[in-house]
Amino acid sequence: MSTAPAIEITGLSKDYGSGRGLFNLDLQIYPGEVFGFLGPNGAGKSTTMRLLLNLIAPTAGSAKLLGLDTVADSLAIRRRLGYLPGDFAMYPKLTGRAMLEYLAQLRGGVDLAVRDGLAERFNAELDRPIHELSTGNRQKLGLIQAFMHEPELLILDEPIAGLDPLVQQSFHALLKEVSGEGRTVLLSSHTLSEVERVTHRLAILRQGRLVVVDSLENLRQVAVQRLEIEFTTPVAPAEFSKLPGVTAVKADGRTLTIAFEGSADPVIKALAAHEVRAVRPGDENLEEIFLRYYRPDTAAS
Amino acid sequence: MSWPTVKLTLRLRLPMAVSAAVGLIAVQLAVGALFPAVGHSIGKLNIPKGVAQLLGGADYGTITGWFRSEIASVYGPLVVGALAIIGAAATTAGEEQDRIAALVLTHPIARSQLVAAKALAVGLSALIIVFGGWVGMIAGVALGGGGISLAHITALAIELAAFGLAAGAVSLAVAAGTGQRSLATGIAAAVGIGGWLINGFAPLVSGLSWLKYLSLFYYYGAHDPLTRGLGIADTAILLALALLLTVVAMVGINRRDIRG
Repeated sequence: MSTAPAIEITGLSKDYGSGRGLFNLDLQIYPGEVFGFLGPNGAGKSTTMRLLLNLIAPTAGSAKLLGLDTVADSLAIRRRLGYLPGDFAMYPKLTGRAMLEYLAQLRGGVDLAVRDGLAERFNAELDRPIHELSTGNRQKLGLIQAFMHEPELLILDEPIAGLDPLVQQSFHALLKEVSGEGRTVLLSSHTLSEVERVTHRLAILRQGRLVVVDSLENLRQVAVQRLEIEFTTPVAPAEFSKLPGVTAVKADGRTLTIAFEGSADPVIKALAAHEVRAVRPGDENLEEIFLRYYRPDTAAS
Repeated sequence: MSWPTVKLTLRLRLPMAVSAAVGLIAVQLAVGALFPAVGHSIGKLNIPKGVAQLLGGADYGTITGWFRSEIASVYGPLVVGALAIIGAAATTAGEEQDRIAALVLTHPIARSQLVAAKALAVGLSALIIVFGGWVGMIAGVALGGGGISLAHITALAIELAAFGLAAGAVSLAVAAGTGQRSLATGIAAAVGIGGWLINGFAPLVSGLSWLKYLSLFYYYGAHDPLTRGLGIADTAILLALALLLTVVAMVGINRRDIRG
């Protein structure tokens, strides 16, 4: 891409000792992208976000957000950034409205019509004390405060945690609008279907290191493929399980589901020895891609 | 200075400050009402010098001595100091441990600005408590038959405020420097209680009498404001210490990672 990255991370590290932290992360995220961060707990997703927000200091490396250094220009960055923490917390005795007013005053220049529009969109309860709200309703407040000043860059840690499917849908629609306006979103999630639905590119982190970064489309090309083959008579799975590239074969009556990596040629040639009624491609999902990068042999590479 | 933070913190601390102020008024009304009966029967207790020092002379025969022993020496600084210590720790390290500070600090507010705003709000809430103590002492003394001038009661209130700010600032400095609420409360409480004991007993041992200068209580009570009026130098030392420790807190929070 020719445009300057909205997020540019160079050799960023945070070493907590005992192998914990983030190590030598290089990453560029471009304006208008919705970028997904995937990885299990402790992979380094939240650490990366907290480094970008200058809440913690890097052990090595640097990062730029919107062309500004995350340490030297932290205040200037924060004026243009919205953040949702993974475990959103606020003063429990305040109402949602009072909390949003406080945060809007800290920012200055928040259009209350935008805030109210978001509250309506998410059906948020603004007039009850926060300690009386359910996790999902608190999360709605977290989303409103992150979006209400229409920031150029959004960093969202587990944004759909606790949200019901309808609100998730509203949130995903909002992400599309934000992206369409050329604003950038970095989000982390454990919910693979969410990442699959909304992100343009994604990164997979494992034990503080970047395993892969690519578009979902490209990742699919190197991922496990599946074919569902219906034969006229039952066929022994063993015949296919020994073929080069085949990783799994599942039998269900006269149907075999064959998972394989790389070329489909050995499978297709073996099929020719049987009478085949139907061949259906299985659409590999993100979970398979994700798990593939978490297998020990893949991680080493 | 982040005025929205000052306003919100003060609003959240207000119920506790007002309760403490009302409590101080009620206690002093009771103390004043008891003086006519207790003062004439107890008089001056014959107790060891160090203990008497801890109790502000333990002179119960005069209304000045009675209020000095009951309020100025123990109850007043205990209430004001404790609430300032707890407030400073809760609004900084406490909010950090509750993951609120991390969210606030992703807004355009510098860490030092946040700490300064918290210090001001906690200081103002301490002044509300002191104001309650001032009103309560005026009323209590009147109820006890009078005998302490308004100027001397005001002098005590000013010294009490300076003591509260200094005690709160100890807590603030530890809280901002470490992000640990219990550590901040514990260290500040130890400084307060330890200082109270040192101020009482250190002067009795010639080799250790210098230790009294390390006690906040020495600068708070040594001048005896209820008899001699405001100890300007001592009060200035307490206020300077409060200011210095607030600056230490503002620097300290910039030198570490924020939790949450």
